This record gives sequence, structure tokens and C-alpha cells, in this order.
Amino acid sequence: MSALTLTAAPAGRPRQTRWLLRLHRPALYTWAVLWLALAALLLALDGPLLNAAAEGWRQVRNCGMTERCTYDQKAILRYKDYYNYATIALNVLPFLVAGWAGAALTGRELESGTARLAWTQATSPARWLAVRLAVPALGVTVCTGLLAWLHHRAWAAGQGRIDSAKDWYDRFTFHAGGPTLAAMALAGLAAGALAGLLLRRTLPALALGVLVAGGVRGLTELAMPHLWPAVTRLSTVDQGFLGKGLVVDQGMVTSSGAHVPPPPCDSNASCDAAYAHFTGRYNTYHPHSDLWGLQLTTAALTLAIAALLVTGCFLVLRRQTGTLRAARATA
Amino acid sequence: MSSDTALRADALAKRFGRRGGWALRDCAFRLPTGRVCAVVGPNGAGKSTLLSLAAGLTAPTEGDLAVLGTTPARARHRVGYVAQDKPLYPQLTVAETLRMGADLNPGRWDAELAGHVVEGLDPAARVRTLSGGQRTRVALALALGKRPELLLLDEPMADLDPLVRHELMGTLMGQAATHGTTIVLSSHVIAELEDSCDHLLLVAGGRVRLAGEIDELLAAHLRVSGAAATTDLGPHSVVESRVTGRQLTALIRPAGPLADDWRATAPTLEELVLAHLRGAGAPNPTEERAA
Repeated sequence: MSALTLTAAPAGRPRQTRWLLRLHRPALYTWAVLWLALAALLLALDGPLLNAAAEGWRQVRNCGMTERCTYDQKAILRYKDYYNYATIALNVLPFLVAGWAGAALTGRELESGTARLAWTQATSPARWLAVRLAVPALGVTVCTGLLAWLHHRAWAAGQGRIDSAKDWYDRFTFHAGGPTLAAMALAGLAAGALAGLLLRRTLPALALGVLVAGGVRGLTELAMPHLWPAVTRLSTVDQGFLGKGLVVDQGMVTSSGAHVPPPPCDSNASCDAAYAHFTGRYNTYHPHSDLWGLQLTTAALTLAIAALLVTGCFLVLRRQTGTLRAARATA
Repeated sequence: MSSDTALRADALAKRFGRRGGWALRDCAFRLPTGRVCAVVGPNGAGKSTLLSLAAGLTAPTEGDLAVLGTTPARARHRVGYVAQDKPLYPQLTVAETLRMGADLNPGRWDAELAGHVVEGLDPAARVRTLSGGQRTRVALALALGKRPELLLLDEPMADLDPLVRHELMGTLMGQAATHGTTIVLSSHVIAELEDSCDHLLLVAGGRVRLAGEIDELLAAHLRVSGAAATTDLGPHSVVESRVTGRQLTALIRPAGPLADDWRATAPTLEELVLAHLRGAGAPNPTEERAA
């Protein structure tokens, strides 16, 4: 019995989550409104907007060669515009998260000294940061994951019905309609938090957070085509390049079988001469079937970068508050 | 490490940035528990640095600081701290701030005591609408509510009116008396500390100039005056001396009986502090190290 009372002694853990949500209530409400608006827009792009535009495209296709032809151009343009708005908005979300994390989550608390207030309650700085990263990470993952799913549904529904629909490898469509969106948002969260901890000031941290998130996005865009094995198709010179998808590399095949870039030429005669000795063309590309392979590998890469940024956050915090020293002293 | 030591510094040093100047250097002192300790020194002396090291907010560059017999990080839940600028979340109300204190200090929170400190404030008032003095009271309530064994206050009374200052000082002293809380408060106004503090830590230029029980420190010093030409302070260690005309006035630490031609009086705390600040370099009289 006495052993039981001894082990039952430690009091409950500090309840940080409740206060994190309370302190960031305005951001939470803004996020909720934004999320609802985007979700509604994506649902509409899979419903009434799509149906009206698809009907318009059907009318266009039925026009044939007649001189006067009426079709619902407004519906077509409306669908195209709203699709682009939604796609761009989804692409911007990770930067929004990065800016918020840098400014409000860490930067402002360090600038105003409220972080020191929190660290002198019964909560260690590491735990303070852990809650500040974990709770938004959960919300961001769920929210962006759902939006990406809605976006993919809307995009897929338009294939074959909307003649101007974006290809799967359109960079904005790609990064809006899969797990890469959630991964990028998490990287944005980590980038912002790190910027705030490093700069300890609201506005510079906002800027640096967005900048670092932009760097991560640029890096993933560069790396993306190389993260999954691509297909190479050969063709004759006259056939042109075969295969449709995300092009990784294109060029000419020489008689020895070597792959070389297409030669520059500026007139029919010079082009004929330049291309005469090639035996064919090659096209290295990702077909549509590579979509999920590329999505998952790109998301994994982005998550790895996010993990590095999070590690950076804890290292910076440890250096500043001396928990590292304390751990070593008691070890 | 003995549990009757609230703070114990060994060769403690803190430098900001790799090439920055030293905010604290070679600090060694011991503060027993249950004391009300004044950390006194001019602006920029290192008082705030010392307190934030004790609160576990920054890491020392060199040396060690033990808090309540352990590391500052491990003592965190037993230490209360109020920073000089009294940071609080401006969007929270007074009541919410105290509720947050209760949630972040589970098992320790004393709602009654915290409520007593903010008595008279509108609980529904947002912190951003409060005056400086009112904010100080909320910050103190947050620090006192967790029932700390060690309370670190950085210039706590600077923006309070004399009435509230007196009242809060009473609350603090009551806390110290009933719960044996060790209180460390920094200030550059010596007069306001003389009645309430029993221990002194004089910091200047990043070093501890004087540390010990105020009574003992006062008893160990004498203010003497005599004719400058004929008298010799001989074996006594002189903290500070001044010659006005033929008259020499000095604050000394007597090493033995004083010659008859000296007139000696007991110094006030303010005289003692000022003499040590002006006549820097005198050895620390209370080198008795903790057992």
C-alpha cells in the first residue's frame, strides 16, 4: 500500500495543449474559415462547376465545322479560373503555415519574453517546443491531407471531360493533389519554428520561415523527377518523341547508340543536315502510372527535410536554454 | 549537495555570443535557504543574468550553478521567476492567466494565494489593458501561485506605487515566513531592501563583490574618521577612504583593536554598498564556504 502511494505521487502533466489553442485562437478560426472555403471550392470543382464546364466542352466538341456555334464559354472559363485559384491556394498553404509558425508560434513568444514565462512554469523548454510542434503538426496534416484528397478527386473527375484540364505533372496540380502537400506543410511548420527560434523576432522570423519553406519547395521540385525510375522510349527521327508524361530527359540517338542532346539548328536545310546522321530519338519520362510513386517519394524527401528542421529547432533551443548542459551534468 | 542551500555558484561565468563581453565572471557564493536575499548592483552589473541562470533560462558559459541542490533545469517546478519586463500573454484575461498557471503547475498551484495577490483587479480584464503596476501584480501572482521554494524576482517593485509596493512586500515576506520560501530580489534601490532583506549579494562589473548575511556584513565593517596626517590604518583592510582637508574618513574591516585616535561608527547598509562599489577590489569577507 505504501509502495502504491509512493508511486502514485507524481501529479498530472502540465496541460499545455489547451493553452496553446487558447493563445492561437484567432489563427485557429482563420485557418478553419480558410479550410472550409477551400474544401467547399474543391467540392464545387467536383460537382456543379465541373458539370457546367463539361457540358460546355461537349457543346464545343459537337460544333463540328459549323460557322456559328454556341457553347457555354462562361462555364468553361469559370471552371478553369476556380480550378487555378484552388490549386494555387493549396500550393500557398505551406508558406502560410511557415509564416505563422515563424511569427506567432515561436518568434513572437521569444521576442515578447512570454516563452521565458512558459519555461519558468513546471514545463521544460523542450516540452514547450514539443507541444508547439506536435499539436499544429497534427492539425496541419489532417487538414492539408483532406484538402489534397479533395483536390485529387476534383482533378481526376475532370480528366476526359474538360479538354483544358491540367496534366497530372503540372507542377501546381502535382503539389496540390497528394501527400506532398501535407509533407510540404509540415516542412513549412518546422521551417517557421526554426526561424523564430533562431531570430527571436516576429517579422524577421516570418520572412525567414517563408524563405526556408520556399527553399525546401524548390529543392523538392528539382529532385522530384529523379526520385522514381523513369521510362525511356526510343523512336525514329521522323516519329518525334514517343510517350506522354513528365519529361526527365530527351534527345537524339547516334549510330553508336549514344544519347546526345538535340543539336541546335535554325533553318530547314541546316536542321536536315544536323539530324541526318542520327538513328533515332529517345524520351525519358514518367508516365501517368508513376504519379503515386513520385508523390510518395517526394513526400518522403520533404518529410526527411522537415525532420532535420525539427532537430535543428531542438538543438537551437537546447543551446539557448542550457538543457544540454544540465543533461550532461546529471548524467 | 546539502538541501539547505538555495543557490550555490562555483566559478560561474556567462558570456553572450562568442565574442561578446562577460556578463558574469568568476562568481562564487552560497545562499542558504529561507533567506530573503537582495541582489544589489549598478545597472548592467549582471544581476538579471544571474537570476535567469538560476531560473534555468540560459546556460552558464563556465562554472556551475546549483539551485535547491540540483541543476536549474531539474529545479524548474520548484522555482518561481518574474522577469524584469514582466512578460505576460496580452490577449489573456487576469483570470485566464491564473488558470493557465494552475494548468501549467499541476499539483503545486495555490489558487487562493494567487487570487489574493491580484485582489482588486478585474478578473475579466485583458492583460493588455492593465497598467504596469497591475501587470506586475499578475506576474507576481503567477510566480507565487506555484508555491515556489525559491522565488527569483528581477527588479520586482520598479513600477509599483509606494502603497502597492508596501502591500506586496508584505505578501512576499509573509510567504517567506510561513513557507520558508527563499526569495532573491534584485534592485538598484538599496533603501527599499534594507528592512526586508537579511542577505546581500553585491554584484558589480559581472563579479560578486560582497556576499553574506547583512547583519554580519555590517558588524564586520566600521566607519572611521580621524586626522589624516597622524593616524595609520595599519593592519585593517580599507574598503574605501577619503580625505577631506585634514580629515580622513574610511570604511574599514578591522583586523584587531582600533587605535584610540579614531572615531568609529557603525555603517548603514547603503554606506557599505556604496563604499564597496567605489572601492572595488577589496577581498570578499564572507569566504566561509558551504559545508
